[in-house]
Amino acid sequence: MIKTMDAKKREPWVSTANPCHQCRPLGAMVAFQGVEGCVPFLHGSQGCATYMRRYLISHFREPVDIASSSVSEKEAVLGGGPSLRKGLRNVTEKYGAKVVGLATTCLTETTGEDLGMLVHEWDKEVLEHPLEAGNPEIVKVACPSYDGTHMDGFHGATRALVEHFAEATAPHGGMTLFPNFVSPADLRHLREMITAFGMGATLVPDYSERLDGPALAEMPTMAEGGTAMEAMRALPGSRMAVEFGRTIPEKLSANAVLKDKWNVPVRTLGLPIGIRESDAFFAVLEEASGRETPAEWQLERGRLIDACVDAHKYLAGRTAVVFGDEDMVVGLVAFLTEIGVKTTLVASGGKSGRLASEIERVTRSFLEEPPRVLSDADFRDVEDCVESQQADFFIGHAKGYKISRRRDVPLVRVGFPLHDRFGGQRMLHVGWRGALNLLDTIVNAILEKRQDDSPVGYSYL
Amino acid sequence: MRKIAVYGKGGIGKSTTTQNTVAALAEMGKKVMVVGCDPKADSTRLLLGGLAQKTVLDTLREEGEDVELDDVLKPGFLGTLCTESGGPEPGVGCAGRGIITSINLLEQLGAYAPTQELDYTFYDVLGDVVCGGFAMPIREGKAQEIYIVCSGEMMAMYAANNICKGIVKFAEAGGVRLGGLICNSRNTDREDELIIELARKLGTQMIHFVPRHNDVQRAEINKKTCIEWNPECSQADQYRALARKIDANKMLVIPTPIAIEELEALLMEFGLAA
Repeated sequence: MIKTMDAKKREPWVSTANPCHQCRPLGAMVAFQGVEGCVPFLHGSQGCATYMRRYLISHFREPVDIASSSVSEKEAVLGGGPSLRKGLRNVTEKYGAKVVGLATTCLTETTGEDLGMLVHEWDKEVLEHPLEAGNPEIVKVACPSYDGTHMDGFHGATRALVEHFAEATAPHGGMTLFPNFVSPADLRHLREMITAFGMGATLVPDYSERLDGPALAEMPTMAEGGTAMEAMRALPGSRMAVEFGRTIPEKLSANAVLKDKWNVPVRTLGLPIGIRESDAFFAVLEEASGRETPAEWQLERGRLIDACVDAHKYLAGRTAVVFGDEDMVVGLVAFLTEIGVKTTLVASGGKSGRLASEIERVTRSFLEEPPRVLSDADFRDVEDCVESQQADFFIGHAKGYKISRRRDVPLVRVGFPLHDRFGGQRMLHVGWRGALNLLDTIVNAILEKRQDDSPVGYSYL
Repeated sequence: MRKIAVYGKGGIGKSTTTQNTVAALAEMGKKVMVVGCDPKADSTRLLLGGLAQKTVLDTLREEGEDVELDDVLKPGFLGTLCTESGGPEPGVGCAGRGIITSINLLEQLGAYAPTQELDYTFYDVLGDVVCGGFAMPIREGKAQEIYIVCSGEMMAMYAANNICKGIVKFAEAGGVRLGGLICNSRNTDREDELIIELARKLGTQMIHFVPRHNDVQRAEINKKTCIEWNPECSQADQYRALARKIDANKMLVIPTPIAIEELEALLMEFGLAA
């Protein structure tokens, strides 16, 4: 059994310098981007909305709208209800919002704003004075950012969508997927996988188009794409629901709603990163559809295995430090283990309490010495630990660049955020194809480092 | 100018005691301002002859930052100046932040300026020091002296002890001191002895024992302090005595809060458990 370590308990310092995670409402804002006709909306100060838009735009390189109730001192003291209702009216009238994805922030959570009561008041108001554009659906989620990470915000919003929309529906044979916080390219690839088995697919959320769309002559007030309300209403009629993320707490799990309230058969899997975790998803697809994996997909798996064999001479015995979201790092460690890379340290800003057992699950019987696992981590913890840990490369999001630079260890960039590279939204992580992409990236990072460090500068490696 | 804050358990009689004492100070010729720090805005009713006043936060809500001092600072009995910070409606917003906003605004507007020629400012604060906002009057040296209103009832003493813990925290940084306990009698057994002993344990004094008298209620129904309602009544003299003692008080201490067991032992000792 791997021992986990609560980073902040370990060291005498208490402040946060550069956490391995983002703030909670940010994750909710990403999830709400994946709903058709939805305006993500923060009940809080304008700064929160501005910061998150800026942060998401430089990763996804798409326009990102996030509305705000613009809480300032007056609203903090006297209550934010009136300015929230004014904001909801504005986004409906100006953007034609059909859905408003409403999240609180630390400010409104601290002043004790009662989101349920505020939405109730809004409902009463629009019942008496309906909006011309039609009253929007308000999906609400509490996001105190000092509690939890962007992943809690993401999962909380996803679950809130299911709780809000799901209704009794006749079985329709489609498959539901809660894909976790992956890239738009991943979302497209996951849909491709499910449809390859002849099943319809509803992904919640699905921001593959809104956060990675085509160039348009004119910018629409509401970006196209996202999971339709109708599709979410029909979730209880799914033949099966799959949720990626074994570290998702029960109370934030969308799958749990479909299982407990609607008796949908559900499966919880790790993110399908690498060979075994992808195999597990394909096995579920075979089970749900009753079909075998199509030949061209089996070929894809074959090519991945072949590439792993080819890469063995570059990768065998290499060591890595992995950081990022809990489910993402579990997938990455699973794959690294499969390709002969020894993970020495795993760090995540999350603190589900399940990371260590998940890391053990994917490394057991492969590694003689299990990696050290840091939960609720700051990059300062990572750097302290790296002192004594050998690492040929780091793999994680771009916030790790500073320690990569200081230690002169290459950083393989994956996940979110990637603010110092281009194409984060098109980065493929999932499935056998995603694994192949990761493999190429990792091997090339090692080759590049070797070439750069060599006094000779061999051109044949 | 002496800056005084009055704390104590909810319903113990802080506002009544404060206003009656302020009326006595005014009678002595002192210029006094009362700042009500309670969202209910009932700290100046007796001095103003009713709840006629718009609070600082009401004014802020309706007129924005464009507030004049005269809008929120109203003259009351014998030239006293009265203001209420006010707050959100029950159940919403943040009353604590409201107190901070409102005291900052009063400062900006010059309520404490030397031109006001104040001898005293009294802060009448809601209940306990429940959060940072309700500590505002004793933060940053705003109030230098604190008086705690209490009685011989266990929970009033418990609250007084708890408030002392708050004072200790701010005493080191901001220089605030405890001036004493005011016993607002509830006619419990051996009440004066008990509060004198509690005061001793807390390292302070019982500055005055205000006996219970129905005249206080009668004056209150008439929206007046005792001194205004009936200057001859015995209760008016009690408040005059309290005002003189506060005016002459030199015993300002950092209190020494006691453990709950010690407080319970005190009640046993004075026979209240029987």
